Amino acid sequence: MKLIKKGAEADIYQTVWQNSNAILKIRKTKNYRNSSLDSKIRKQRTIKESQILSQVKSFGIPAPLVYFVNLKNTSILMQEIPGKPVHDLSEPKIIQLSKTIGKLVGMLHKNGIMHGDLTTSNFIFFKNNIYVIDFGLSQNTIKPEDHAVDLRLIKEILNSAHAKIMVPAWKNFLLGYKSVVGSTNYVKITKLVSDIESRGRYAQVV
Amino acid sequence: MLGLGIESTAHTFSCAVIEKKGKKGKILSDVRKIYRPADGEGIHPREASRHHIENSSLVLSECLDEANVKVNDLDIVSYAGGPGLGPCLRVGAVVARSLASFYKIPIYPVNHALGHIELGKLLTGATNPLVLLVSGGHTMLLAFLNKQWRVFGETLDITLGQLLDQFGRSIGFASPCGKNIEELATTSSNYVTLPYSVKGNDVSFSGLLSATKSVAKKSKVDACYSIQETAFAMIAEAVERALSFTRKKELMIVGGVAANKRLSEMLQDVCKRHGAKFFVVPLKYAGDCGSQICWTGLLESQIKKGVSLKDTFVTQSWRLDTVKVNY
Repeated sequence: MKLIKKGAEADIYQTVWQNSNAILKIRKTKNYRNSSLDSKIRKQRTIKESQILSQVKSFGIPAPLVYFVNLKNTSILMQEIPGKPVHDLSEPKIIQLSKTIGKLVGMLHKNGIMHGDLTTSNFIFFKNNIYVIDFGLSQNTIKPEDHAVDLRLIKEILNSAHAKIMVPAWKNFLLGYKSVVGSTNYVKITKLVSDIESRGRYAQVV
Repeated sequence: MLGLGIESTAHTFSCAVIEKKGKKGKILSDVRKIYRPADGEGIHPREASRHHIENSSLVLSECLDEANVKVNDLDIVSYAGGPGLGPCLRVGAVVARSLASFYKIPIYPVNHALGHIELGKLLTGATNPLVLLVSGGHTMLLAFLNKQWRVFGETLDITLGQLLDQFGRSIGFASPCGKNIEELATTSSNYVTLPYSVKGNDVSFSGLLSATKSVAKKSKVDACYSIQETAFAMIAEAVERALSFTRKKELMIVGGVAANKRLSEMLQDVCKRHGAKFFVVPLKYAGDCGSQICWTGLLESQIKKGVSLKDTFVTQSWRLDTVKVNY
């Protein structure tokens, strides 16, 4: 078992399961956190992530297969997607893929799921396909406000980590998103994104 | 090069003199007067600005005396142009404009949040940090990219400082309440479950505030302990997410809430896990002060000749991520 990444909330190991490469994601205890809060968060997210990983596959979102869930040490054993995070691809490629990402997010929302952590590191480009990973903060929700929170987050990430290509990438994302959720929902949700932004600190008011 | 900086964005009126030699800065003086509202009450902009007006000449002359410099010796004067409370901002700007026009000194409006970061970098020696700015006015995670500070995460509603102050006031403390809450929190270890709301790299505190207020009706001590544990764990998680996403190897914490020891302790642990160096701005310079404005003005002066008086604006909502940093 090899540690390949210390993520924000979990350690990611590469391992083998039934003769194929697999990923073990362990949410380890965080000593800085109050212990009852800590175990609650770890347990809840492990359950939610494995449930939603299975759910999204049912409506055609490319995502890792869940092999095994261990609630005792809050870990998930899943299929390895040996591609590259979209974050690390070239700028023209990110612009191009933004449309597909928009479509994928649209599909999630249409099926009542908010991802909760839409960053360019959570989309893996593998064999000309984009896989969605890291559903730890996901929720089953059809509330347009929740979907708007998702959109705002990816917008914030494009605006910071990919500032140079923000405009074309965001435009493509929205095109892809709109093509899946339809105009009515699109208008409603992007309006809510502006609402959330206007509630932010020192937002430009008028 | 000698600079004078004037800070007056909220409750603090402060003047500072810094001498800049090359990349180094030496704080010669930093004098502050802080407006204190009555117990259980928040900052009243008009009263605060009145406080600033009454104290401005005293603070200014004390600051110059302590630094042992005369107005004529100053090469530049800078003031906090925003973000902040309009009436308060105007006081600092008026003092700066008067000095600049009467003594013909170049004048620089400075973004208050940028001031926190630049002073933090000067005092801690951090070079390329992920910055956590936590104060009454801000809760932001920032990293520098392409000549601008970019926001990687922030609060979606109230700030960490506002959360602590508004909760503290509801149980009768005087603003700023962070220290009182911290002290009371150390006497409890009974965690009451409160809403925990992290959205990607962003956080939201408004639900936590309402929930903690009702917990306080049963036990103030448990409420203080639990609000700190919950809010700081949320911040720590957002920091972890941003560290892992940006792959920065330094974390610097600035702003008034940087003074909280429990928060520092948690973030230190976070840094250890991610192999990042941890920098906290020294306690004395964590909160609002003239030095942060002065030093940023001095940095600006490397590439700009100052602005003309008609452009010496104040802007209540001047977001840090709209400021171009060219020095």
